[in-house]
Amino acid sequence: MYQYSQADHQLLQERVAQFRGQVQRRLRGELSEDEFKQQRLRNGLYLQLHAYMLRVAVPYGLLSSNQMRTLAHIARKYDRGYGHFSTRQNIQYNWPKLEDVPQILDDLAAVEMHAIQTSGNCIRNTTSDPLAGVARDEVADPRPYCELIRQWSTFHPEFNFLPRKFKIAVSGAIHDRAAVAVHDIGLRLVKDASDELEFEVYVGGGLGRTPMIGKLIRASLHPHDMLTYLEAILRVYNRLGRRDNLYKARIKILVHETGEEKFRDLVEAEWQEIKASSLRLANEDIARIQSHFKDPDYELLSDFDHDFDSHLLTNPDFANWASKNVELHKKDGYRIVYLSLKSRNQPTGDVTADQMDAIADLADRYSLGAIRSTHRQNLVLSDVKLADLHHLWLELVKLDLATPNYNHLTDIISCPGMDYCALATARSIPIAQALTERFDSYDYINDLGDLSLNISGCINACGHHHVANIGILGVNKRGVEVYQLTLGGSAREDASIGKIIGPAFTSDEIVKAVADILKVYLDKREGPEEAFLAAYRRLGQAPFKEKLYG
Amino acid sequence: MGKFIKDRKVQQDNWMPYTGLEDLATIPSGDIYIPFEEWHQNRDQLLQRNSRLGVILENTDDVAALIPDLERLDLIVLQFPKMADGRAFTQARLLRDRYGYKGEIRATGDVLHDQVFFMQRCGFNAFELRDDQDSATVLLAFDEITVIYQPATDEELPIWRR
Amino acid sequence: MAYQIYTASLLKEGLVTYLCLGTDGAFWSTDINKATRMDEQHLHILKAEAEYAAQANIVVGPYPITVTSNDQGLIPVEGREKIRAFGPTITLPSDPVRPASDLHAA
Repeated sequence: MYQYSQADHQLLQERVAQFRGQVQRRLRGELSEDEFKQQRLRNGLYLQLHAYMLRVAVPYGLLSSNQMRTLAHIARKYDRGYGHFSTRQNIQYNWPKLEDVPQILDDLAAVEMHAIQTSGNCIRNTTSDPLAGVARDEVADPRPYCELIRQWSTFHPEFNFLPRKFKIAVSGAIHDRAAVAVHDIGLRLVKDASDELEFEVYVGGGLGRTPMIGKLIRASLHPHDMLTYLEAILRVYNRLGRRDNLYKARIKILVHETGEEKFRDLVEAEWQEIKASSLRLANEDIARIQSHFKDPDYELLSDFDHDFDSHLLTNPDFANWASKNVELHKKDGYRIVYLSLKSRNQPTGDVTADQMDAIADLADRYSLGAIRSTHRQNLVLSDVKLADLHHLWLELVKLDLATPNYNHLTDIISCPGMDYCALATARSIPIAQALTERFDSYDYINDLGDLSLNISGCINACGHHHVANIGILGVNKRGVEVYQLTLGGSAREDASIGKIIGPAFTSDEIVKAVADILKVYLDKREGPEEAFLAAYRRLGQAPFKEKLYG
Repeated sequence: MGKFIKDRKVQQDNWMPYTGLEDLATIPSGDIYIPFEEWHQNRDQLLQRNSRLGVILENTDDVAALIPDLERLDLIVLQFPKMADGRAFTQARLLRDRYGYKGEIRATGDVLHDQVFFMQRCGFNAFELRDDQDSATVLLAFDEITVIYQPATDEELPIWRR
Repeated sequence: MAYQIYTASLLKEGLVTYLCLGTDGAFWSTDINKATRMDEQHLHILKAEAEYAAQANIVVGPYPITVTSNDQGLIPVEGREKIRAFGPTITLPSDPVRPASDLHAA
C-alpha cells in the first residue's frame, strides 16, 4: 500500500494544527457555527441526531493492520467502543466530542490516516474495487490511479467550494465492484483493440432524489490524460453547476440539463487548453505510484489442499461459508475472504473495537497485514492461503464475522437511518434486523442465490436502495414511518435504477412484502440458474405487483 | 487594523468603485474600478482616462471577454457572494494561468480567514476582508499549510514531479 | 394540553440537551425530564434563553419541540425527537443493556 512521504506526513500535521485552531476559534466564539460548519465538514465532522459524527477516510478502501488497531483504539478511547463502515468504504464514529477531535486526528495522522474532505462540497474519498490487485478478472490495478486522484484532489484550491459534493470511483476489472455507474465521475480501466490500457469516463451518475446512471462522456482516455481530464470536468462543473437549488446542484443535473453532447463539448474544449499541462502523467509518474502497490511475495502453491477439501466434506457449516464468503484469487493456492459485518447481532456495517483488534491480528497472521472495506459495508482479507481457510473460519466464527451470506439476501446495506442521522425520515436498521431475523434459513438464502437488498432511511439514498435488486426506502407519512419497495436495481456493470412497485408498507408489513416478492421469484424463475435480477428483468413488475397488491 | 490585504501586507486601498450612479463625465480623478457590463458599454471613453483602471466581475461572468483589455487593466475584482460559492476561484485561476494577467486580482465578499490560502493559490493577491475578520490572524492563515500537492498559479509542478 | 420545551446540541459534546430554568438561572441538561416546559404564551421566555446560549457558544441550533407527559416524565410528540431524547432504538454493538425501546413504545 501507499507509503507516506515526509511531505504527506507534514500535510496531515499542518491540517490537524489548522483544525485545532479552528476548534479553538469556534469555542471562543471567533468563528460562527455556520462558518465553522464549513470547516468541520471538510474535516469529516458532522453534527448528527445524538452527537457529532466523525467520518475517517479509508482511501480506496485499503487499510493496514496497524491502521485497524488505531481505529480500534479511537473507538475505545474517544467513542462508545465501535465504528461503522459506510457505503463509500470509509469508517464513521458516532459519539466523539468536539474537543477530542483534534487529538483523534493526531492519533490518525500517526498511522497515515485522516478525515480530510470526507464531507463538504468538495472532492470526496475516491473509492474502488475491494478486490483490486487480487481479482481474477482484473484488467489493471486501479489503486495507483486512485492514489494519484487522492493527491490531486486533496486541498485542491480551485475545487474546494463546488456546487455540491463530488464522488469519484475507479474500477479496474471486468466486473464492476465499485459502482462506477452511479458516481459523479466513474472511471473504468479497459483494454483497447491493441491491448493498450485506457479509461472509459462516465460522468453524472448518482443516487439521491434523482437517481441517474452515468453517461459515457469519453470512451477512450489514455492513462496519461486522467488528471487533466478530471480537472477539465471539475472546472466545467465549478463554473456551470447550479448554485440556486441544493437539490439540483450535483453534476448529474448539469449533464442532464446541458445535454450529454453539449456537456462533452464543454469538457473537451476545456481539456484542449490543459491537456499538455504539468498534470499530464508521464510513464514514470504512474510507475512510481504503482511501485507502492506491487504484488507481495506470493508463494508458489498448488490450488489443491487436502485438509481444505476434507473439511468441506465433513463440516457443512464450513462448506456453507466457503461457498459464499470465499472467492478465487488470481494466484493458485490463495483465496479472497469476505468478513461479513451482517450478523443478526449487530447493526449492518458496525464493528466493535474488540473485533477490530482481532481483525488486525487475523490480517497479520493470515493475509499479509492488509484489510479492505467494501461499499457493501463488509471487510475483505485479500490474500489468504487455501490451507489456512479452515483455521481462519474458526476464528471468524468466534468473532461473529462469519455469517455466510455474502452477496445473498441478508447481506443487507443499510444506512444508519433515523436512529442516528439528522436527515433521515425513517429508521432503517430495525428493518434490516427484522429481515435478517425472519430470513435465517440458509437453505432458503442459498436457494435464492445472488441477490442484493439495500435500505435507505430517506430520499438521500445513502443506503443505495436505488441500485439494489430489492430496494427499500423509508419515508414519513403523517408522522408514521412507511417503506417503499423498488425492484430491479443493479450497481454492477449492468447498472440500473430500481422501479417503485406500488404504495408503501408499514414496518409491520414490509417483511411479509419482501417474503412475497421472493416467493414470486422462486415460483416463476426459469430454474435456480436464473438469478433474481434476470428473472425480474424478464418478468417485469406485473407478477410482483399482483402478489403484493392483488 | 485595516481590512485590506495586498501582497501579504495590510495596506491602504486607493481604488474607488464606480457605483453606476455617477455620470462618467463627473467621476473624480483617481483609480477607479467599473462593473463588467459598464466597462463594455463605456470602454473607449474610460480608456482615455488618465488613471489606472479596474473592472469588477460577477462570478458568472466569462473572464475571457477581458482578454483584449488585460494589458490596460491594473485591477480585476472578483466576488464571493457567499463563502460556499466558489466560482471566483476558477475565474482567478484562468486570469492568472491561462490569460497571463499580471495585475492585481482582488477578492471581495465573504473573504474569510479559512479561504485566503486557497484564494491565493488560485491567483488572488489582494483581499477585502469581511468586516468581522481580524487582519492580524488572517495574515497567519497564508502559512498554515505549506505542503502543496497539485499545481496552481503558485506552483507549476504536481508533488510527484518535485 | 400541549407544552413545548427547547432542545439543542451541546457545542462541546455534541449531545442532545434541553433547556431548564432553575432557581439559579438557566442551565442545559441531557435529561429531558429536567426541561422547563411552557405554553405558547410564555414560550418566548425559553426562546430568549436558548438564543443567548447559542450566542454564548454553549449550544448549537436550539429549537422548540412539543411534548406530552406521562408518569415516566416528558415525552416528545415527534418520533425523531423521541429518538433524540431516548437514544437509538437499537442495541448498540458494545452495549450490554437492552435499548431504551420501552420508552419509545410510550
